[in-house]
Amino acid sequence: MALLEVQNITKRFGGLVAVHEFNLTMDQGQIVALIGPNGAGKTTAFNVIAGYYKADGGKVLLNSREITNLRPDQICGLGLARTFQVVRPFAGISVLDNVMVGAYAHTSDVKIARAKAEEVLELLGLQRMTNQLAKGLPIAIRKRLEIARAVATDPQIMLLDEAMAGLRPMEADEVIGMVRKLSDKGIAILLVEHVMKVVMSLADRIIVLHHGEMIAEGEPADVVKNLQVIEAYLGEANNVTS
Amino acid sequence: MSPDIFFQTLVNGLFTGGIYALVSIGLTLIYGVMVIVNFAHGEFLMLGIYTAFWSFTLLGLDPYLSIPFAVVLIGILGAMIQRGLVQQVLDAHPLNQIILLVGISTLIVGLAQFFFSAEPKSIHVSYETEVITLLGLRMSIPRLIAFCSSLVISFGLYLFLQHTRLGKAIRAVSQSREAAKLMGINVNYIYMLTFGIGTAITAVAGVLLSPNHRMIPTMGQTYSVIAFVVVVLGTMGNFVGAFIGGLIIGVVEAYAGFFLGGDVKIIASMLIFILILLFKPSGLFGRKRT
Amino acid sequence: MTTQVSAKTSPNSLRNLLHILIGDWDRTQLSISFLLVALMAISPLFISSPYYMGIIILACLYAVIGISWNIVAGFTGQLLIAHIIFLAFGGYTTIVLLNTFRIMPWVGIPLGGVVAALAGWVIALITLRYGLKMDYFALFTIALLVALRTLFLKWDFVGGAVGMYLRLAEPSVPKMIFATKPPYLYIAISLLVFGILVQYQVYRSKMGKYLIAIREDEAAAAALGVNTSKYKTIAVMIGAALAGMSGGFYVMYVTFIDPTGVFNLGVNVEIIMAGPIIGGLGSLLGPILGALVNKPIAELVRGSLAESRSGISLIVYGLFLITSIMVMPKGLAGLCHSLYLRLYRPNKNIE
Repeated sequence: MALLEVQNITKRFGGLVAVHEFNLTMDQGQIVALIGPNGAGKTTAFNVIAGYYKADGGKVLLNSREITNLRPDQICGLGLARTFQVVRPFAGISVLDNVMVGAYAHTSDVKIARAKAEEVLELLGLQRMTNQLAKGLPIAIRKRLEIARAVATDPQIMLLDEAMAGLRPMEADEVIGMVRKLSDKGIAILLVEHVMKVVMSLADRIIVLHHGEMIAEGEPADVVKNLQVIEAYLGEANNVTS
Repeated sequence: MSPDIFFQTLVNGLFTGGIYALVSIGLTLIYGVMVIVNFAHGEFLMLGIYTAFWSFTLLGLDPYLSIPFAVVLIGILGAMIQRGLVQQVLDAHPLNQIILLVGISTLIVGLAQFFFSAEPKSIHVSYETEVITLLGLRMSIPRLIAFCSSLVISFGLYLFLQHTRLGKAIRAVSQSREAAKLMGINVNYIYMLTFGIGTAITAVAGVLLSPNHRMIPTMGQTYSVIAFVVVVLGTMGNFVGAFIGGLIIGVVEAYAGFFLGGDVKIIASMLIFILILLFKPSGLFGRKRT
Repeated sequence: MTTQVSAKTSPNSLRNLLHILIGDWDRTQLSISFLLVALMAISPLFISSPYYMGIIILACLYAVIGISWNIVAGFTGQLLIAHIIFLAFGGYTTIVLLNTFRIMPWVGIPLGGVVAALAGWVIALITLRYGLKMDYFALFTIALLVALRTLFLKWDFVGGAVGMYLRLAEPSVPKMIFATKPPYLYIAISLLVFGILVQYQVYRSKMGKYLIAIREDEAAAAALGVNTSKYKTIAVMIGAALAGMSGGFYVMYVTFIDPTGVFNLGVNVEIIMAGPIIGGLGSLLGPILGALVNKPIAELVRGSLAESRSGISLIVYGLFLITSIMVMPKGLAGLCHSLYLRLYRPNKNIE
């Protein structure tokens, strides 16, 4: 029984097919990377899985339970958390309060939620920012906050949408370390990434999307070899690893 | 309802609708460009009608001749309000935008009450009771003038937007702020200009209403609400929609007034408003704004 | 957080007390609120003029009304502009129950709150079902207000355009009719205390965090497990209930209600919006500070310019609202907060 099963997900916008019969299976503790050029449909696939878009076809199963077309908050409650490509912190409140929103996903008790939030902040190295307002924080911290909030919901699987975008190499390394920590805790991670270095160092498996279709899947080394063939075939202009 | 009354009511409704159209065109223009609902919109109509009052009372000017005054004075006022105040909240939480505009509205009404007094005023021109009869329908001269003026002004503004560089720049900004910027359009200037045009045209509507019309500082608020209905009905940001919507609401109100009585006719517009908001918020011309 | 622990284990009971009262900004706001309430409660000892007593009573009432709107608009960010609808429903319910059904206001006022809450539920249901957001939501509430005004103007059961007047009667406690002001003051204060406690409880609890999350970013909140529809509805219902009860008390105090006066956007701005905005929308202390500043100033302004020009109070309100948004978005409570940080918690990075 797989943790996450995405079966033939299709999403159309008017006449454009953004994602076509996308399939994916993930188990606990795995890290899978979704790569492809801009517009390949990666974030769209995320949005369908996480309940932001209605699927035009196919099913999503979490722990064998169908979650297709459930509300995003219901899906979160069932154990799937996601971050956003452009971070969306709750600007007017503190870092701690931001994470507490996530922590309340499975409890209504203030003390329990606060304890969980503080624990997550510590895990992600944000404890010194606890009482700072989320507004005006540097991008690297905001990205970490985005992840921390999602972690606080006690997910079994996390969807990270370009968590490294806009980060300097050193900052990206820190995030890579964090993702590994989360994976070590048993959380399955599905990430969308452009930065190949990150993908190669983290992923157990890579899936390549192009124009909404999966064109390659497998272990990093194999896919990279495959990619070179594909790029050679399609030409530089269709550079899959943008 | 006899045919005579049917057509007479229709004409009355169209005449009222012409004013509504003018007011709403101003509102929809502002929304289209800045994506902000001008909750102070009716107040500019009120200022327009008082401009006519003071021109008539102090300078002896026929109210229609005060249109240039109204355009300049209130257009500039609108532009200044935009530049000084509204500009700062363009990207703020919509609640803050609304509060600011409600504050501006309250301030304008307060100032009007203070300087013009809350007592109703009116002006009377010699021709205000004159009526011409066309095709068996009675049309009061001032209302006929108002209607024709609305048609002319609306059409003129339409041509301006379609065929002049500035007009095209305004339309460009309403379609995409970013793209317009990239094309070298000074977006902030366009914002200011559009707000000025929107308020000026509303003020003109006020001037057109002035002959024999009861003037009090709070009169703008009803027109604001009606403009909201029209703009949503005609699709927010849609110029032609606002014009047609204005005429439709004017006519609906006229018939509602006939059947239900003058003091409750507004309920017809409110019902339409509620139904549209619920079932077709993108309005008659359906393009959803992102 | 660490300060919290050491304060608890410290044997110094003064430090304990200080912590409970002003240990963090939320508690401080609560303490200041109760201090202000206490001052109002003892005011009859110093003030005998019915005129000034009346100002305090209304300031008290405006504070509750402000709290009710604060929960909907301040905490949750909902653009419920025509909040006065709920006050109207509560007021009419109370007076109809009394005049027509002889139900005492002690029951009628809470029932007014219930009716208002039901109205809130319906409005929330409709607007959520049809996806009315932002400006459309605001306009919808305005359309409702105008439509309701027209309906009530023609509805004889509630007195039509003339409105409803409290039946003249001898002062009696069951009928909530009193010869002097102080009893009204204490009822208003009870309502205010209730409102303060409800507001505080909401704010500190899970619901409070969820409402704020919805205000800040609804989509992000949903991604974190917040059932946004449910919480928005609850917020509206709580706000409506408080406003409804305030409306019930209002009608008992001023002894009359009419559609033009109550389904009125201008009045909505003056008694519902202005207070919390001046005081600081979204804060705990804001609605109370705002009402205490708002009402007396409005009276002063009205009084000092005697019978001369009208419009002064509107000018003042307008300026208040504009200045608030442009210069002082956190309102008076925000100023107090800065002061608090400087005096009590001079370390940076502490809330």
